[in-house]
Amino acid sequence: MMPIEIGTVLYAGAIGLVVIGIAGIVLSHHLFRIILALVIAEAGANLLLVLSGFRWEAIAPIITGGGAAQTMVDPVPQAMVLTSIVIGVGVQALALSLTLRAYGAYKTLDIRELQRRMSADLAGEAGTPLPQSLEEPVGGRPLPAAEGDGR
Amino acid sequence: MNTIALTVVLPLLAAFVVPVLSRVSPLLGRLLGPLTLAYTILLTLQVWLGMEGKPFSIALGGFQPPLGINFYVDRLSLLFTFLTLVTSLLLWPWRNETEPRQYALTLLLAASACGLALSGDLFNIYVFYELISVASFGLAAATRSGAAFAASLRYLILSGLGSVLVLCGIAIVYLQTGTLNLAQLSQLAPETLNTPLGMSAFALILLGIGVKGELFPVNSWVPEVYAAASSRVSGLLAGLVSKLAVLVIVRLLVLLFQQESALQLMLILGLLGAISGELAAWRAKDMNRMLAFSSIGQLGVIFIAFSIPGETGLFAGLALSLHHLLVKPALFLLAERWRGSLAGLRGAGLASPVAGGLFVLLALSLVGMPPLPGFWAKFLLFTGLAAQQSVVYQVALGVVLLSIVIEANYLFRVVMNLFQPAGDSSVAVTTDHSWLNLGTTFLLSALLIAGMLFMGPLGTWLEGVAIQAADPVLYFDTVFSVSAIH
Repeated sequence: MMPIEIGTVLYAGAIGLVVIGIAGIVLSHHLFRIILALVIAEAGANLLLVLSGFRWEAIAPIITGGGAAQTMVDPVPQAMVLTSIVIGVGVQALALSLTLRAYGAYKTLDIRELQRRMSADLAGEAGTPLPQSLEEPVGGRPLPAAEGDGR
Repeated sequence: MNTIALTVVLPLLAAFVVPVLSRVSPLLGRLLGPLTLAYTILLTLQVWLGMEGKPFSIALGGFQPPLGINFYVDRLSLLFTFLTLVTSLLLWPWRNETEPRQYALTLLLAASACGLALSGDLFNIYVFYELISVASFGLAAATRSGAAFAASLRYLILSGLGSVLVLCGIAIVYLQTGTLNLAQLSQLAPETLNTPLGMSAFALILLGIGVKGELFPVNSWVPEVYAAASSRVSGLLAGLVSKLAVLVIVRLLVLLFQQESALQLMLILGLLGAISGELAAWRAKDMNRMLAFSSIGQLGVIFIAFSIPGETGLFAGLALSLHHLLVKPALFLLAERWRGSLAGLRGAGLASPVAGGLFVLLALSLVGMPPLPGFWAKFLLFTGLAAQQSVVYQVALGVVLLSIVIEANYLFRVVMNLFQPAGDSSVAVTTDHSWLNLGTTFLLSALLIAGMLFMGPLGTWLEGVAIQAADPVLYFDTVFSVSAIH
């Protein structure tokens, strides 16, 4: 039985978080879930960044004066992660405020519904026929209606 | 020489001063932005004349490069700084008297775009890239219609996904090399990044930054945003921001990822973008959507050009980028009064012949009619592609030719429509182009004609720019030379 190193677990966790986040963005339809999935993916990326400079045998990179020189953790990725967390928070706040505005205009948080009404709006403004969706054949689809739409 | 940093600092400062100043004095608030941009353009020209074609690097805050962040100034980055400032000034939102926020966002975009062009540090590039993103979300939503909010929200989500990918790519690069300074990376890359892991880092960064560059799988935001945003913003995003994303990718390709597989990945994505964009534009029923899709197609062609190895690729790609940067905003400005369905434009060219004539000129250059600059750019691309041995490049040659045929078909269809006498059934077309838009378009077209007249010296000069930018050894030597100290 090979012991699993903690580093491996952390790397797998970071990549897993990114994958979960991307899957959430792609698969969910509710705007709030999509934004939360984006937050999760960003957390994964940040964790990956921290891990890229971390060393288990080292101490925190603070020079305390006196004492023998010791191996320190690389401080650069930690500074970068702080920056990227701050950027992330800003972008998320912007996303929420845009969500509020879009909700105010269309009264829905379902991204497909939002997109449908948006293209209807744009087509109406331009005076063109509504773009026909390839997902919706004209004759209706021969499948039972999906359950739990618009959760 | 250090004044080049002011091209980032001054617009950034002005961006935060404008909203406050507009409350005190609306006139000063309106003038501050254009004045700042004009002054920074002068500064850029001054540096340009001072550098005498030799690249130099400045260490910000006095911290020397491997530890501190540096700006790398060669002809390519200075050219893009200059173009950024000029394009932002040309596409300045003059008419929004009531909206100082839009001035601030445009200035923010200009500042971060200059930073992106100049920066010599990978993480610094990421930060500027995010700043550009935030500014462009704000600008895309500035028309304040429901569609604009929804479109920029979808843009934001895709862009957020892109920055996660870029961050992962940066983490991999740092893990493999332990540095983020591009010059140092260029030295370490042949040993450390020439691996499958390095390749995956490139793929992540390419996809992430490609969101802004309208790269194939991550460009679904393009038609919605350009249809919902104002023409000036669409011109800015399609003309300028996409080129800066391409510039970053090209820098990384030259300095970090010289593997053949990296070039081929970009080539294939570019091919898919070119063909899908042109086909969608062919199907489009309204002006803005058609221009948006055709912009995806042309960016695909630009990616194809940059994936040719060596200076040839850089030269062809630069020529195509400059041409697109000139033509696309002009077309978007013309489309401001002609937005709406293409069928409704019947006779619009007869009603305003100047605008119709300009449209024909721009469309001809976009397709690549021989004496116009668009032809020379595409000619460079073809000779570059034909010189390559690999089958993929030969396929690319065919696909680019096909895309030109499609492009010619839909653009000439519009031109035919513009100059057909309007039937009595057609709705009254609004043809009164504002003088501001028409003037700007006229200026851009005049530049196009000037480019045609001085094609010889322009080509030689651009080739010089490409040769200088394609040299990673020069980059390293410049950053770590004694001249970096002052």
